[in-house]
Amino acid sequence: MNKILLIVSCALVTMMPRIIPYFASSALSKLPKFIRKCMMLLPVAALGALIFPLALTDFGPMWYAGLAGVVVAFLTSFFKGPMILAIIIALIATTAMLLVFPM
Amino acid sequence: MAINGKEVKEGIKDGFPIFLGYFTTALAFGLLTRTSSFTFVEGVLTSIITFAGSGQFLMMNLYNAGSMFLSIVVSVFFINSRYIFMASSLSQRLADPRSIPGRLLCGFGTVDEVFTVASFKGRKLSYSYMAGLIFTSYLGWTSGTAIGYAGGTFLPEVVQKAAVITVYAMFASLLGSEARRGAKALLVAAFSAFINSVLILVFSVSTGVSFLISMIASTLFGALIYTDKEVGLE
Repeated sequence: MNKILLIVSCALVTMMPRIIPYFASSALSKLPKFIRKCMMLLPVAALGALIFPLALTDFGPMWYAGLAGVVVAFLTSFFKGPMILAIIIALIATTAMLLVFPM
Repeated sequence: MAINGKEVKEGIKDGFPIFLGYFTTALAFGLLTRTSSFTFVEGVLTSIITFAGSGQFLMMNLYNAGSMFLSIVVSVFFINSRYIFMASSLSQRLADPRSIPGRLLCGFGTVDEVFTVASFKGRKLSYSYMAGLIFTSYLGWTSGTAIGYAGGTFLPEVVQKAAVITVYAMFASLLGSEARRGAKALLVAAFSAFINSVLILVFSVSTGVSFLISMIASTLFGALIYTDKEVGLE
């Protein structure tokens, strides 16, 4: 198999779905209100599925390390902590769980 | 498309957490390309022209499994089809929706993390801001791939493992801020998390397809419980 051809083809099928909608945006803004409402809600709808279950399964049997990181990051920002602080605390919590409760 | 330094800077600042998460993930990707007998140029080229986490890992896994050319490309397309929705959504938040280079830039950089961070900015997005955000993320992804290929994973094993949490912590942080503004956000996110978990863990649906279904279902659910005013429409 030609690897360069494979790499370029995969890049093309990645870029098409990302770029084309930006050039259809005027048509998109004329869509029915309900569809436009759905588009505005997409970010929050995506968040749940972006986190679960992969944040847990990525850690395999030590899923609780992933859970700890996600929970503390959520709480930090819920109580108005900046994102970078949330990430640092999550890194510490996950590392601690991996060290304290190894498989 | 005039460049506004302050906006670029803010984009870079917001992109820093993405940089961290991408850099550590890309180290693993770089190493994977090397062990899959890709040359350095081929491995780095993949990240430079594709700029997609899950899609690139999928390509390598299928390549190593000896899949056919066409089936690899089609699978990568399917795992990336979620970007159609993300790009459509983000295109509605641009301050100047007409600039052609600006739209190409945003299209190139519409990855999951850039999409979420930009969407929750809560204001119209300038191309200067998007350029800073995308460039910082892109730098993490491409440099991580190159260093991962050349040096392997030089980080201690526990740090390498813990670093996986960075990107998820970023998503959880965005969700935390959003939940403070109203419980409905949490409800919609919980709905999509639940569907995605059931599809993947119970029904063994592939992550690409499962994500697409969860995203669409919970978007519809959200549209039913949010009023038009709450999402900024009239």
